[in-house]
Amino acid sequence: MEETSELMRQADSRSDSNEQDSQNGKYMTFKSGNEYFGLEIQYVSEIIQFQTITAIPETEDYIKGLINLRGKVIPVVDVRLRFKQDPFEYNDRTCIIVINVKSMIVGLIVEKIAEVVEIREENILPPPTIGRDKVAHNKYVYGIGKVGDSVKLLLDPDKLLNDEDLSIVEKANEMNIDED
Amino acid sequence: MAEGFNTEDMLDMYLFENGQLLEQLQETVLEQKDADCFDEDSINEIFRTMHTIKGSSGIMMFDNITAVSHKLEDVFYFLRESHPDNVPHLELVDHVLEVEDFISSEMEKIRNGEAVDGDASRIIADLDKFLTKIKSGVDAGGAQAPPENVHEEPKQFYIAPVASSASRFYKIYITFLPETEMANVRAYKIVYALKEIAEDLLYSPEDILSDEKISEVILQEGFRVLLQAQSTEEEIRDLIGTGYYIKAVDVFECKAEEFLQGFDFGEAGAQIDLESSVEEIDARTQAGEAVETVEVKKAEQKKIAPGDFVIQSKEPGKQKKLAKDKPKGGKESFISVNISKMDQLMELIGELVISESVVLQSPDLKVPGLYLDNFNKAAAQLSKISTDLQNVIMSMRMVPLTNTFQKMNRIVFDVSRKLGKDIEFEMIGENTEVDKNIIEHISDPLMHIVRNAVDHGIETNEERAESGKPNKGKVTLSARTEAGKVWISVEDNGKGLDRAKILAKAKKQGLLEDGKPEDAYSDKEVYQFITLPGFSTNEQVTEYSGRGVGMDVVVQNLQAVGGALEIESKLGFGSTMSMKIPLTLAIIDGIVMETGTSSFVMETGVIKQFIRVKEEMMIHEPNGDEYIMIRGECYPVIRLGKWYGLTEYRESVEDGVMLILEVDDKRICLLVDRLIGEQEIVVKPIPSYIKKVKGLSGCTQLGDGSIALILDAGGLVE
Repeated sequence: MEETSELMRQADSRSDSNEQDSQNGKYMTFKSGNEYFGLEIQYVSEIIQFQTITAIPETEDYIKGLINLRGKVIPVVDVRLRFKQDPFEYNDRTCIIVINVKSMIVGLIVEKIAEVVEIREENILPPPTIGRDKVAHNKYVYGIGKVGDSVKLLLDPDKLLNDEDLSIVEKANEMNIDED
Repeated sequence: MAEGFNTEDMLDMYLFENGQLLEQLQETVLEQKDADCFDEDSINEIFRTMHTIKGSSGIMMFDNITAVSHKLEDVFYFLRESHPDNVPHLELVDHVLEVEDFISSEMEKIRNGEAVDGDASRIIADLDKFLTKIKSGVDAGGAQAPPENVHEEPKQFYIAPVASSASRFYKIYITFLPETEMANVRAYKIVYALKEIAEDLLYSPEDILSDEKISEVILQEGFRVLLQAQSTEEEIRDLIGTGYYIKAVDVFECKAEEFLQGFDFGEAGAQIDLESSVEEIDARTQAGEAVETVEVKKAEQKKIAPGDFVIQSKEPGKQKKLAKDKPKGGKESFISVNISKMDQLMELIGELVISESVVLQSPDLKVPGLYLDNFNKAAAQLSKISTDLQNVIMSMRMVPLTNTFQKMNRIVFDVSRKLGKDIEFEMIGENTEVDKNIIEHISDPLMHIVRNAVDHGIETNEERAESGKPNKGKVTLSARTEAGKVWISVEDNGKGLDRAKILAKAKKQGLLEDGKPEDAYSDKEVYQFITLPGFSTNEQVTEYSGRGVGMDVVVQNLQAVGGALEIESKLGFGSTMSMKIPLTLAIIDGIVMETGTSSFVMETGVIKQFIRVKEEMMIHEPNGDEYIMIRGECYPVIRLGKWYGLTEYRESVEDGVMLILEVDDKRICLLVDRLIGEQEIVVKPIPSYIKKVKGLSGCTQLGDGSIALILDAGGLVE
């Protein structure tokens, strides 16, 4: 748990400092499946311990439900399921990264939080357009960051949350309602 | 006016206080609009209100407001003094409302930083005419005309002493409540008011406007005035008024010699001996005027004891009590708080509740052999307090609809008068509480619907007579919560919507679907046409409605808060427009229940019955639908666990509990695992990130910090 709280402190101090400069180029990385992913730190508002989730029926499997974040109800998304990877068992070391994208607050359940790293712009490559099984990932992976020998997949949180297929369905639904 | 004085604060205070006064005034006037005349209390209240507004506007140098309020004050002065019998009440109501409107609109200008330039001369002329009329009425009736209202606008800042045998001398001692802000301005208001009658006026502390620090002095030592005037003590008291910030006003008549001594009157014990004099004055106001002078004199004689100077500050506890005892007329007092602070508070309470449950369910407590009696007692107390705290915070955001409904009352009154229609207005359920944000959104649509009802819904008096309806039209405004929604309905007993006319118009505008016969449209569908942009069956455009913009805007506004408009109508008998608004953040009574591992909440109102059933009561259809026979009636059954595909729910109906729900005359049975209890719940919207799920209208936080989903009975029934 120490490493988590250390990370929490790191994340907190970053988001508190409010100085865009010091946040630039910093990424919160976490492990999901065999890959490491990175999220720009400005989107991360906090990291919380796993807590009881209230499931919501009839939603996509990756939306696990709602949690109560100090009186605020926020939805949580299982990142592994979102990436169409196999589900994993939650334990009390599982963490939820709370991100704030366009004033939408969502929790991401991740397998393991790694560290906060700095990736310079010259070390970020565009994602390969032809990959083996990466095709599914490409829409929310906007770049590949090199840190030393390892590689982090950088995520576009907006695309991560908003499933394009889903929004088309939603729009169609809304139109149906209008016609009613 | 002194430079460097904080005019911004003064202005805020001015706007806030007068705004409240005007609201109060309107309520009083509308309450009695149907009576034959105002009762004594309201006349006094209106008089005082106008007086206060006049005073404060005078200080702020809004001359037109001062002039108008002065005029109306004159009218009510006359009413109060001579009780004329033949006052045309409605005309008077009109005048008061007109003045109120004028002042409100001027205040709006002030708020927006515009120049206060409204022309009050017409209103003043009208009021003059009115006053002359009622006065002449009194004269003709043989009653004695009262003396003219002697209040005159002060022509100069300081009025030099005028020796006159009729002059009387007063020492006035005013104490303010300790929490009063800007006591110096309050004091100046009083001085300003007194100047109207003063032949000579001295006050201490003197420098009340240019020195802001003087407030402290006034609060601590009180405000003393020496006054030479011809007025009686009562008149002086009226002038000073009894604002809520004034703790006590002591007025003592004194001799000319004392007066000339100025403020160095150490011997005047009664003035300084606050404790007893305040009590006596309190008693005096209750006991009536007869004994009054005697008592004061007694008090003066008794209390001549030097050294009483210090009492005032030595017994703050006593003063506080006195201040509290002062009746506030049963009115609730309010402060305005920044919404973001409320949100913050709400968040913190949420956090508190969670940490509370963390402490109370701490695994350390599970160690065997612990003696926890005291801990449990303390914990129960803590839970109680935090629950209460939570309830209070939640309820703070809720505002009753009373104010909004009062505004509608005014609109009905105005419009019906102008159109010459005789309309009764009834309000039902105005105490229904709605989240403040929602009130802001529904105010305009509601106004529009009410206007429509009065303007188009209710026929003219002649038409009503022709169709043999009772003379008086009636508009009923009602509010209720049902099925997790607030329903605000405007019902009129007017002519109703004309289906054929609407259809014809829709056809003309090409709104009908090709190939769909006209009678295939349900009434509801037909009525929905009037909510389309540019659709108005009214040929004439009136001042109030009929331009075809309106109903579509109403619907848009409602949709913005997730609401909807339902129209019901019967040709010749009237129509009902119901706004259905979701209760985001509204508090409802709910039953908490469990199915599988999930908690659900359902509004208490829609649940008709809980019942345990036997397997043989069930009827299974081959296609999977299930029904149940309960006491000879057949209900469709929804198993909550199956409906939402939950896990670990109880399969057998005999293990669970059936709820009989009723929504819009439809009844269904809902099977859940077990009931937990009833509690007040705060409806929160499900985050927009999650798409809408049928049968769920929101979520709520239970006492232990966990989240329960709110079931929408309406959705389940569909």
